Amino acid sequence: MEEHKNNLEENKSKDENPLKVNRRHFFSQLSVGIGSLALGSLLIPDLFKGSAGTLAAQPLGIPHFAPKAKRIIYLFQAGGPSQLESFDYKPTLHKRMGEDLPDSVRAGQRLTGMTSGQDSFPLMPSAVKFRQHGESQKWISDFFPHIAKIADEITVVRSMQTEAINHDPAITFFQTGSQISGRPSMGSWLSYGLGNENKNLPSFVVLTSRGKGNSQGLYSKLWSSGFLDSKHQGVLLRSGKDPVLYLNDPDGLSRSDKRHLLDHVSSLNKIHHVETGDDEIESRIAQYEMAYRMQMSVPDVMDISKEPESIIKLYGEDCQVPGTYAANALQARRLAENGVRFIQLYHQGWDQHGNLPNEMAGQAKDVDQASAALVMDLKQRGMLEDTLVVWGGEFGRTNYCQGHFNPESYGRDHHPRAFSIWMAGGGIKPGLTYGKTDEFGYNVIENPVHINDFHATLMYAMGLDHEQLTYKHQGRRFRLTDVAGNVVKDLLI
Amino acid sequence: MTNTLKNRWVDLIVLGLSVFLIFCFLFESYIALPRLISWFGRLHPIILHFPIVLLLMAIFLGLTGKKVPQLLLTIAVISALITAISGFFLGSEVPAKGDLLFWHQWLGGGVALLAALWYALSQMRLNQKRYTKAVQVVLVGLVVATGHYGGMVTHGEEFLALPTKKRQKKIPENSLIYKDIVTRIMDDKCVSCHNPNKRKGELILTDMGGLLKGGESGNALIPGKPEESELIKRLHLPKDHEDHMPPEGKIPLTEDEIAILERWIALGASDTVQLDQLGSEEPLVGMVRKMMASGKTNSWAKLPKVADSTLQNLASDYITINRISSNSQALSISVFLPPNYEPNHITDLKRISNNIIQLDLSGIPIGEQEMDLVAQCKNLEWLELDKTPITDTELNKLTGLDQLSMLKVYGTGITDQSISILKNLKGLKSLYVWETQISDAGFSKLKESSPQLQLNHGIDQELKASFIEKDSLLF
Repeated sequence: MEEHKNNLEENKSKDENPLKVNRRHFFSQLSVGIGSLALGSLLIPDLFKGSAGTLAAQPLGIPHFAPKAKRIIYLFQAGGPSQLESFDYKPTLHKRMGEDLPDSVRAGQRLTGMTSGQDSFPLMPSAVKFRQHGESQKWISDFFPHIAKIADEITVVRSMQTEAINHDPAITFFQTGSQISGRPSMGSWLSYGLGNENKNLPSFVVLTSRGKGNSQGLYSKLWSSGFLDSKHQGVLLRSGKDPVLYLNDPDGLSRSDKRHLLDHVSSLNKIHHVETGDDEIESRIAQYEMAYRMQMSVPDVMDISKEPESIIKLYGEDCQVPGTYAANALQARRLAENGVRFIQLYHQGWDQHGNLPNEMAGQAKDVDQASAALVMDLKQRGMLEDTLVVWGGEFGRTNYCQGHFNPESYGRDHHPRAFSIWMAGGGIKPGLTYGKTDEFGYNVIENPVHINDFHATLMYAMGLDHEQLTYKHQGRRFRLTDVAGNVVKDLLI
Repeated sequence: MTNTLKNRWVDLIVLGLSVFLIFCFLFESYIALPRLISWFGRLHPIILHFPIVLLLMAIFLGLTGKKVPQLLLTIAVISALITAISGFFLGSEVPAKGDLLFWHQWLGGGVALLAALWYALSQMRLNQKRYTKAVQVVLVGLVVATGHYGGMVTHGEEFLALPTKKRQKKIPENSLIYKDIVTRIMDDKCVSCHNPNKRKGELILTDMGGLLKGGESGNALIPGKPEESELIKRLHLPKDHEDHMPPEGKIPLTEDEIAILERWIALGASDTVQLDQLGSEEPLVGMVRKMMASGKTNSWAKLPKVADSTLQNLASDYITINRISSNSQALSISVFLPPNYEPNHITDLKRISNNIIQLDLSGIPIGEQEMDLVAQCKNLEWLELDKTPITDTELNKLTGLDQLSMLKVYGTGITDQSISILKNLKGLKSLYVWETQISDAGFSKLKESSPQLQLNHGIDQELKASFIEKDSLLF
């Protein structure tokens, strides 16, 4: 024991507090150390692997293997766009229009409270025409004339599956891998795994826009870092004068004054950190510094005035109106060019329980040209080689009519068992149509892709093994895919 | 009198060293060593020979029933403790401990402490044979295991493995599917048993004749019918099935390799078909290209080592340096425009120029100095020079970058003079070159000389026009 004390004291005099130990750390480390020394345990490898020290040793900030994609632009269509009026063509619905959905097809699928009380479930065909486009002969509805023109660039997955049937759990599932909120968002996991590409911008940025269709709420929990370090949280950039609230200095505070202020605050924080060893303090220091640099970098990135006329026209004139989907799409490209890892767009208004043909036409018009323009713009910049674009909502819609049976103003309820999304670039094979639904468009009959599989595949494209990227919290290791998920190799180059 | 006093001192030394060693292990993550002490760790490779020899000697005497001289035991134990402590110091210089070092450290600690226990037993006159012999037997095991792991740490994990075949040669561009691909897979995974000397199951897979002839169980392959070919059937059996090939203990074929063999047989198992004769739709082409590409990744294995600290020193708020994958020496570098840009931000990267595989200089006001650095990056595969003020003179520096496969030069001042430079970049696969002074004639010339090249000069005009003139919804 004498030896211990002497050594402790000796170390103390050299460095202020080299042990950075508080009571809790001390006991947890001590028990691990003694346990490890037990000779018999040398034979049980897991005993050490579970010790607290291994987490820090995990190599973060570098991918597990050479990635195909360096960043993701996720064009999230919030509300659940109908697959039956977009990418999943079902002629059978025309033939059997008005017939009741056979029970053998529904097979006990639970319904939302909005249609579970309906007396019948009459099949409703698409009000909009489908055509085949491109060399890949992809079926795309006339709601999306621009996306149809890039049919060979995109890969449509028609066999997406989720478990949730309501918006909030479904969108939370898509963004965090769990229906219950509190887990880190996809963007936060990638930020945690790969770090920033550009140290002057956050690695996870969120942009929102709203269509005229029936829309559902978006909450900041969708881009929360959950139990991960708060520096991995998504940063919501607002439209208009101040993209980030309170980022600008008040009048009369010069940049050098700000620097002095930050230096002093940081030195105080460092003292506190030495005392307590709380890592969240370091995180806070890093955030102050990031905000300081963002004061310079954000206005520059957000300023689209230097974009040439031809680009403005490509995305559509709307892109000059801040807060529109088109403006956000153009912004997304600029953020991607500047090294933001995960750019999350949300476009609200895709929840067509009624008046679907009209509302969806409007929603599609909001996003069609700008989404296609983004893919083309990325392609000409060579960025499609290392940027993955994803377009899709949180679930699909039913093949039967909700509410009054009218081919011009019908509605569709939420449908989790099969829906469509598309992806382009970043290591995804171009031009594929993957997965198949039955003739009613109700069940997946070929190559299902569950959300967990989708997450695993996205992470794979980014050079991460979804089973290896873990974070220990409340006594167990968490992953984005939790205990499920298979990489869909067929989709990858 | 003097004798007992001397013994007490020795006892205390052994006890002290043991306690210190335990302390080191307990507080490993908190200890920051002064330089001089950590230098003492460098003696570890010299000292470690003493305990190995002395302990084994003492154990040999003990186990053969002879009396172990106290002096021998004392020196052996003290040297074991000192070795373990010095090893601990040496280990603390390594930032992240791998599995090998991890095991070496704990086993080594075990040896030292168990030896100390032996010493204690002998001091307490507890020479009951059972305890001591048990300790001795365990010690032998631990010494061997520690030495083994230590050897792997210094000499590399493969040092003790049996010598393997020499590195495989590169797959040629327009490969013969049988000769360059199928044979390669077979040589790798099958031929060690199925060759004319060993002929397991009477099957020889070294040439086409043997393949067609088959072995004891009949045809190895039936051209056009992979599902009926014994070769493919056995590859697909469950791993624990008796007839699964390769048998337990041998390296199995990867899924991609099986898929290649299957597809090749489905196409008729020809020994003359070449890659270019297959249509671009043919899945086999994709599989083979993937195999060729993975050979490329291996070329990164030969890159010089670069330390994390070097990368940290060269990186800044505006220069991000990442390893392309963990533990790889291949680097990807992105440069963003700082408020006050100086060329030396980039020219300083010279130290690691051989490791740079991807370099993004988009939008940086680079000139000749920076391009000289680029010219030194001999292994460069991915280069972004778009929206920079470079002209033909600067682009000329790219001559000789044979690995370059992706180049972005849109929005620069290059002209038709650069065509000859671009033409000579043999590895180039995709080129982004719009908004430059290059004329249409220049493009067609380039296209003619490099038909493989994916040439992107902006969005297709027709497509662009259809976007710009307002589309109305079609229904």
